[in-house]
Amino acid sequence: MIVHTLPASRCPRCHRLVVPPARLCPDHPVTMEAATVPNVGEVVSFTTLHSPPEGFKAPLHIALVELDGGARLFCHGEETRGIKIGSSVGVESVDHVFYFSHMGFADRARLFWRRAGASGEKVASITKSVVQGIWRGRSRGDS
Amino acid sequence: MTRFGRRDETLPDLMAEAALSALADAMIEEPDGLVVAAMNPEEFTGAGNYGSLINTHLGLSHVPALRVETATSSGVAAVYSAFASIASGLHKTVLVVGGEKMSHMPTPRVSEIIGRSIDPHERSYGTTMPALAGLITRAAMQRRGLTLKEISQVAVKNHANGARNPLAHFQEAVTLEAVMDSRLVADPLRLFHCCPISDGAAAIVMTAEPAEVRIAGIGQGTDTIAMRYRNDLTAFVATQTAAQVAYRMAGFGPERVEVAEIHDAFTPFEIISLEDTGLIPPGKAGRATLEGETALDGRLPINTSGGLKARGHPLAGTGIAQLVELCWQLRGMAAGRQVQARVGLAQSIGGLATNNWVTLLEARR
Repeated sequence: MIVHTLPASRCPRCHRLVVPPARLCPDHPVTMEAATVPNVGEVVSFTTLHSPPEGFKAPLHIALVELDGGARLFCHGEETRGIKIGSSVGVESVDHVFYFSHMGFADRARLFWRRAGASGEKVASITKSVVQGIWRGRSRGDS
Repeated sequence: MTRFGRRDETLPDLMAEAALSALADAMIEEPDGLVVAAMNPEEFTGAGNYGSLINTHLGLSHVPALRVETATSSGVAAVYSAFASIASGLHKTVLVVGGEKMSHMPTPRVSEIIGRSIDPHERSYGTTMPALAGLITRAAMQRRGLTLKEISQVAVKNHANGARNPLAHFQEAVTLEAVMDSRLVADPLRLFHCCPISDGAAAIVMTAEPAEVRIAGIGQGTDTIAMRYRNDLTAFVATQTAAQVAYRMAGFGPERVEVAEIHDAFTPFEIISLEDTGLIPPGKAGRATLEGETALDGRLPINTSGGLKARGHPLAGTGIAQLVELCWQLRGMAAGRQVQARVGLAQSIGGLATNNWVTLLEARR
């Protein structure tokens, strides 16, 4: 599995991310901005429907997944064997329908390094802003 | 209210049966306002314009009539509308009637119609009410330690109460084994954790004049229609908000409540709702249920009518039926299942907890 992104929307006021994209934030009557989210996350919960509605075949596996970054989405899956709440899954969009799949060891390892990289960048940017803050504070003190 | 269950009468006839008995009980021939609650009568019965349909059917075609809808909590929304019109002085006496007729349709069709109250994007994944309830139940089991035995005991208790209610859909007791061994509907939810498809109607008369029972508080709470927009699956913000509003209006808290009707469309919802309303401290409602605290002879009897699980759930009739049961309990008229209580609470869930209500009733004696 190659990690890529899914189209999303972000509220400019509360920074909430939603998938699929929507015009207005559910909590604020403001137009959202286009954003992307990674297609990997964790299972929030899942169920198997034994008598699904018309147009679906039993058993129907449905999961609610929280993607890295916080957006949640509903997905279908081939099976729920081995899936637990908190399991890492990848999400693919096929014809505008999301499907989850259990991530293999190689996928999880790649994801671990990717996350480590992202948090490394975050630490660097925090350090940078703290240094800048100290610098600005000092220059104000001088004037 | 009418007997709930499979009924051959039309929805207007069921509503008339409930309305006439409520008017007779209140000793009123003609209200000056009518509020009708029906969730999906267009789809289930093929008729619309329900305010006018029912006022004419009742011989009250000159009485101003509204129809109110908030999905499965429509009945209480109608009560709220009547409460507001009386509190504002627009009306003195209002008849509120709600109900649904759906057992004549095949179950998949009924599920599909009820499912239209789900977010359309999420519905395109085949989610139904049982599917969403299944997701919530699994999350609650993992995160709150809810057990299969606890949610099954709710069904056992509510069936035991229904067996004492001549108007209940199911009037037979069930064993814990039968509930736990019933067929899977939406893993981990089984058939006996889900309420039935019922026909029926319920009505109450509300008046500005002092009566035996008063509405001490009524509160509404809302949440996103999309489940994916919520941060927590295991508690209903809409109930918590509704409860806060109702307690504030009443000027008292959950400690004064002695009997309650809770929206157990799926049995785990009774446990979640007992905690959302503050009737039982967080994390304790499952154990309280197993220990009999919420049984008819317990410290806090819950769903003395049998609840949605056993009394039945004719959608827009349910919220009103909850208040009818509380009125009977507070007036000492609940023969065969009477408890001692002066204050009762009703909690009604609309959609998958998108539009919920909490009502507090108090006996004046």
